[in-house]
Amino acid sequence: MIRYLRMFRAFASTEFQFEMEYRANMYLSIFEMLLVIGTSIGAVLIMFGHTTTMNGWTLPQMIVLLGVYYVIQGGVSLLFSPSFERLMEHVRVGTLDFHLLKPVNTQFLVSTRHLKVIRGADLLLGLIVVIVGLVQVGEQVGIAQALMFALSLVFGWTLVYSLLLGLVTLSFWFVRVENLLAIFWAFTEAGRFPVDVYPLWLRVSLSTVVPIGIAVTAPANVIAGRMDWVAVALLGAGTVLTVSIASALWRWGLKSYTGASA
Amino acid sequence: MIRIYRQLLVAQIQAAAQYRIQAVLWMLFSIIRPVIFLAAWTAVSNAQGGSVGGYTTSDFAAYYIALTIVGHLTTAWNSFEFEFEVRQGRLSPKLLRPLHPLHYSVVENLIWKVTTFLPLMLVCAVIALTFQVKWSGEWWHLVLFVPSIVLAAALSFMIGWVVATATFWLQRINTVNTLLQRTSFIFAGQIAPLSLMPTALQVISYVLPFAYVLAIPAEILRGGVTIERGLLYLVGQAVWLTLAIVAYRFAWRAGLREYSAVGA
Repeated sequence: MIRYLRMFRAFASTEFQFEMEYRANMYLSIFEMLLVIGTSIGAVLIMFGHTTTMNGWTLPQMIVLLGVYYVIQGGVSLLFSPSFERLMEHVRVGTLDFHLLKPVNTQFLVSTRHLKVIRGADLLLGLIVVIVGLVQVGEQVGIAQALMFALSLVFGWTLVYSLLLGLVTLSFWFVRVENLLAIFWAFTEAGRFPVDVYPLWLRVSLSTVVPIGIAVTAPANVIAGRMDWVAVALLGAGTVLTVSIASALWRWGLKSYTGASA
Repeated sequence: MIRIYRQLLVAQIQAAAQYRIQAVLWMLFSIIRPVIFLAAWTAVSNAQGGSVGGYTTSDFAAYYIALTIVGHLTTAWNSFEFEFEVRQGRLSPKLLRPLHPLHYSVVENLIWKVTTFLPLMLVCAVIALTFQVKWSGEWWHLVLFVPSIVLAAALSFMIGWVVATATFWLQRINTVNTLLQRTSFIFAGQIAPLSLMPTALQVISYVLPFAYVLAIPAEILRGGVTIERGLLYLVGQAVWLTLAIVAYRFAWRAGLREYSAVGA
């Protein structure tokens, strides 16, 4: 375990050094994110100029939800999606061989090898939005609630991870799956509103096919006081199940990998 | 010119036939955002007893379905592609050809829209069934819509090219694109129909070109304007299109002089 943590630290620090080479790009990235988050909050404010609740969600709760949306999105683009992009390329070109030869767990390596450090800024900005929302919610957020919030956030993040792992695993059979990932990113936009506002067919697909609906709505629901320990435990159980399925799929898919020269 | 275009069209149809699934997948990007905001406004409208500022729940549905169609028909990706071509050094061979690069992208753009139109209408039908949509237009709304959507698509295309020329000076135009997209997000009627925006933002929306690409054709298609207003909107679109073409010609000429061909 400690070995893996040390390895991860090495990955992170090389990627950080790489990012620091392109300072101007980094500042522009942060500027873009401020723009995106600012305009998204603007959109919510415009809508709540016409109402005080949306499907039972108040304005501060919506702000928390929006923050969670950017935390999840930032988290996934910080850690997993850069590695998975490389992974698809490795499978296509055949260079995954080099990863397989290394004396570490391959799933760990292909999930965490590359980071986009700058996306950590998105995650932080998302957290700031969450905090701003929390202050507006006003009621005291107890330790239990904070714990539930953190837990469901981790579960949601892991759910999205397993979906992504499952999608890139498909590249062993179909080779080109970037399009599937593109659809995934298109669907994530739906996470900016609570999943319960959507019509049934979309709600079902957002919670099961693309778990972004759950990943974003569950933590925000904790703050809104609509999730108890039982619900969090169920979410946890579901997450463990999903990760196991994705991991099994990955191992199965790996068997179909034929290497560079084959 | 007509002969050239006929050849380009044939070539592009053949190319498009190879990537059918990809074309339909990219279509999802035109659909998702309007549906998301439609769902949200439906929730708001229900919370307010069925109508918000003159828009009933079914008006919202009509507006956002119209916006989906308009958004799709006005999509332009030239700025992204152009940046890529400049960076990869692929622009140089294109410049040597006797035909301006713009014509190739006109054809690509047209073919993509034609080939994805049927699937788009199918999806729109599903959305229309899920939300209780009611079209409240007259026949002349449809007549007005035809020139309006043509102007809007041309305007969006030309804006794309103006932004694309920024690549000559900046190399990477991600930030410019984001800036533009987010401005359009706020001021083009994506968040809300223009008349539901706060007054100050409404005024800005009518001044900037973005609403003339999305909200205005959508409002016409929905049947939400009088004839006089509709004609006035067309004039606004024509003015912006002219400005965009002038800006493009100017920027292209100045930019080409700046161009030093990456990788040359």
